[in-house]
Amino acid sequence: MFLTYPVSVRERLYSLLIGPLLVAAAIYLVVSLFQTEVAESGVATWHVLVEASFATLARITVAYILAVVVGIPLAILATHNRLLEKILLPVFDVLESVPILAFFPVVVVMFVRWDFMEGAAVSILFLSMLWNIVFTLVGGLKIIPQDIVNAARIFGLSGFAYVRRVLIPAVFPQLVIGSVLAVAQGWNLIIIAEALHTYIPHGNPSQDLFGIGSILVSAAANAHNTVFAEALVIMVLMIAVLNLFVWQRLITYSQRFRFD
Amino acid sequence: MNLILFRNVSKTYERETSPAVDNVSFAVRDGEMACLIGPSGCGKSTMLKLIAGLESPDTGTVDRPKKVSVSFQFGALFPWLSVFENVALGLRTAGKSGTQLERTVNAELDAMRIRELSHKYPGELSGGQRQRVGIARALAVDPQVLLLDEPFSALDPETTAELHDDVIAAWKRTKKTIVLVSHVIEEAVSMGERVILMKAGKIEAEFPIQLPYPRRENDGFHRDVMKIRAEFFKKNHPSV
Repeated sequence: MFLTYPVSVRERLYSLLIGPLLVAAAIYLVVSLFQTEVAESGVATWHVLVEASFATLARITVAYILAVVVGIPLAILATHNRLLEKILLPVFDVLESVPILAFFPVVVVMFVRWDFMEGAAVSILFLSMLWNIVFTLVGGLKIIPQDIVNAARIFGLSGFAYVRRVLIPAVFPQLVIGSVLAVAQGWNLIIIAEALHTYIPHGNPSQDLFGIGSILVSAAANAHNTVFAEALVIMVLMIAVLNLFVWQRLITYSQRFRFD
Repeated sequence: MNLILFRNVSKTYERETSPAVDNVSFAVRDGEMACLIGPSGCGKSTMLKLIAGLESPDTGTVDRPKKVSVSFQFGALFPWLSVFENVALGLRTAGKSGTQLERTVNAELDAMRIRELSHKYPGELSGGQRQRVGIARALAVDPQVLLLDEPFSALDPETTAELHDDVIAAWKRTKKTIVLVSHVIEEAVSMGERVILMKAGKIEAEFPIQLPYPRRENDGFHRDVMKIRAEFFKKNHPSV
């Protein structure tokens, strides 16, 4: 199963290095083959690329935290009773189905007016992550065994204590899985979220946010193949490291929270 | 003195047409070990929920003490908490902490012979060990009534016999009122002072068991089992 923690040295190496490097090499090859116009490199140094990666990671992290903070109460509310479930779940379903990019021009224009471009990027990342978190949590909340709910009541857990000590731990495995999907969705949208100028009427690249996504767009547009490939390699490695040291560990840890 | 008293209690679940509990009146004395038995769907688990306060009656009244604790069928342990923390759960909710909490939890773990498991997690325990933790957790809050919801149904015969002895020992030690739900007649006879047979939401018959503890499978035991079995399998509405 792809969600298990790699235990052998070979698996760890594959996870950390070989897999991502193969992906990066394949990307570089494809870029070289199809992008024939070769321009000068040197736009970005490794130092800048690493800084850009961390700027992107910070953006994704903020959006992810917001998605969790909003997603948990929404999921709890939607499963609180049958009436709320009947009202809220179809609404969530519709909102989830509307393509994120349909919101984006509106969101960008709004944040341009406020002169807060980070807000535009974080908002779109947040919206792309939110429904992954909400729907996996809804699934988790609905399968909590009735005896666990009854035991919590018998031993006096109610209100916020019940949420904190029963509901959240009970859905922790689903929260981790939802988080993996949400953050992956964030990485998918990062190019759009950072290269904002394409969504601003009469926009120019100087309005883009500093990050690995906007560097990729800029490098592709200017045929800076080396920068493009370097940026991709850094991005892939960063995702691989996060996967190995954060998500896979959390997935393994979350097994303790599963009901038999 | 009656600690639990049902007066003409009925309960029908949503989307069900026939009542789970149908105009039941019964009482359990303070300090009694009563066993509710009956076939699946006869209403015995609903009776337990009504005593626990997890369900409310549609009609009739249920007099029950405030401090009722339950040991569930499969333990219902919180998998993210250690054995110690599972047993401490109700005490922490009640505001207990420190040495007092530790002493109470360890005493219950000792009584259930699982002290050495206190740092383990439910996923690392056998079925019998989980049940012991569930019973220890239920007793730790010092309830007036302990409800046991088919706690031995998924255990092997040897573990079941050991747990029967431990529960009886705990009952004699604490003098708690215990209501055990089971569908095994032999289990009810080996544990209960009174066996209450339910069928189709009603109390069909009651059998006082006057055998001395510890109960072993002798002639008297088999006589009681046979008497209950005859009633258990008696068809009230034979098909024509």
